[in-house]
Amino acid sequence: MRQASRILGLVLEWFLILQMTVLTAVVVYAVVSRKLGASLSWYDEVAAIQLAWITYYGAALAALRRKHIGFDGVLLALPPRARAWGIAVAETLTIGFFLLLAWSGWRVLMVLEGMSLVSLTSVPVQLTQSVIPIGAALFILASLLSLPEYWRETMAGRSFEHPEINPDSDPDTTVETRP
Amino acid sequence: MTVAGIFLALLAMIFVNVPIAVALAVCGVIGILVYEGTSGLISVALDMYGGATKFSLIAIPMFVLAGAIMNAAGITRRLIEFVSALIGFVRGGLAMVNVGVSLFFAEISGSAVADVAAMGSVMIPEMKKRGYSAPFAAAVTSSSASLAIIIPPSIPMILYGVTAGASIEQLFLAGVVPGLIGAAGLMGLCWWFARRYDLPVEAAFDTRRLRQTFVAALPTFALPVVILGGIFGGFVTATEAAGLAVVASIVVGLWYRETDLGELRRSMLDGAIQTAVVMLLVAASVLMGGFLTRAQIPQELADGLLALTQNRWLILAILNVFFLVIGFFLHSAAAIILVVPIVVPLIEAVGIDPVHFGLIVTLNLAIGQQTPPVASVLITACSIARANIWDVSKANIGFVGVLLLVLMLCTYVEAVPMTLVEWVYR
Repeated sequence: MRQASRILGLVLEWFLILQMTVLTAVVVYAVVSRKLGASLSWYDEVAAIQLAWITYYGAALAALRRKHIGFDGVLLALPPRARAWGIAVAETLTIGFFLLLAWSGWRVLMVLEGMSLVSLTSVPVQLTQSVIPIGAALFILASLLSLPEYWRETMAGRSFEHPEINPDSDPDTTVETRP
Repeated sequence: MTVAGIFLALLAMIFVNVPIAVALAVCGVIGILVYEGTSGLISVALDMYGGATKFSLIAIPMFVLAGAIMNAAGITRRLIEFVSALIGFVRGGLAMVNVGVSLFFAEISGSAVADVAAMGSVMIPEMKKRGYSAPFAAAVTSSSASLAIIIPPSIPMILYGVTAGASIEQLFLAGVVPGLIGAAGLMGLCWWFARRYDLPVEAAFDTRRLRQTFVAALPTFALPVVILGGIFGGFVTATEAAGLAVVASIVVGLWYRETDLGELRRSMLDGAIQTAVVMLLVAASVLMGGFLTRAQIPQELADGLLALTQNRWLILAILNVFFLVIGFFLHSAAAIILVVPIVVPLIEAVGIDPVHFGLIVTLNLAIGQQTPPVASVLITACSIARANIWDVSKANIGFVGVLLLVLMLCTYVEAVPMTLVEWVYR
């Protein structure tokens, strides 16, 4: 499980670095072209699609590292049995939603067959929108891979959001009233 | 009844730590099922894709990346050296340097968490070494980084602009004067603490050192010129300026020949994750937005509140309290995406300028980043300082007070944020 998690993490990391680099290059190329009086017809459409790709592949990486914005204060305050139920319900809802997203994304891809981008007619819309079912499937995989550690930490009463905060571990941590 | 049920479901999901983006999306799905039945479910993918392709939001990964490159290139260190030479001779100077550098860093990165992570890792250990307590060092770094989100460029302002349909460029300009007033206030408080507790002076004022550090930091000053000059001069849009900021950061990094590639890789990944987390919220808000519109919730809320009072100052007071409370429990991006679409009809109905209101919302959420339990900036500062969150919160009370004063000033003296906007754009 740990090995699979590491491999998925590495693949997503390098894909995202590539996406961020290409997006920057596209934005800068578009600014320079516009200033030289030759605006790019495909810029808006392509850059927006790249943003969607960063969103969904990045969301899968964030799920693997449990970095999505949430609020664990109440969950951690619950007694262990209720906490376990809380985690189970939350994970079921999350995975259930992404299953629905993957299914509807797949249905949309079927409908879009044969269509291409407005500004780049050689690029099929199926390719650009494939990010929804693929991204949703990756999100589910990442959630399942990171679940055991999340379960362990949360059941032990430790916040997964701020694991680095452990005020008892450092001698510098003192209660002082002067600045 | 259905509406109340869906909002209760939203709260319940947030309480069991369902990611807020997913909780919003699930509520949107319930709304679809209620109003359209299962046949409407295919639109889930369309909405989630459409929401993630909002062109103006491309500025977010770009500004995050610019900040990351800047930090990996040793720019932060040179900035600190210059500001230290400039104001380090004042008693408690290092705390003021902290505020000053935050102000400058904010003009490039647009993210308070990036700001506190970059700045704090250098400034907090240095302050501790010079005898400042860890909670105080964390409090100064945290509050100045939060103030920085009203100084352009600002990711929360970009999100607000897109959500409320307000001009991002005008929002950026509205933040300049309040940002400077707030920084002066924070520096004043540092000076007061320094006199009271006899905090150290860094070094005597030395013109030669000032000149040397200025020359060393000179390429860095090109960055705000490119970003702010480009936007306010009307040469480029906010998105284009963000792209240019990345290139300018790379050029400055090459000039210094110090770029740490490992650090750069880590920062790029953090930037991508930060972007994805915020964008997933935006995409989910499109699903939820469909439900809100069908249920006419924003309109009903506006009508309900207007039936109670039509006094815009009172309504602003109510909204201020509301956003301050929300800031305790929600991350700023989530708060903007969840609440702004609901209150926009209300502010339009009472004639509040959406740019003015955008600044008020951003300032409220800046304060929210300082108030536990959900306080991303404060918690990052605490983890760097290795200080207890409650000790830091105690040391932070005065600084949060300054931010609250700036909020009151901006809320009730509209000219403070809006004069520059009126002058340049209207």
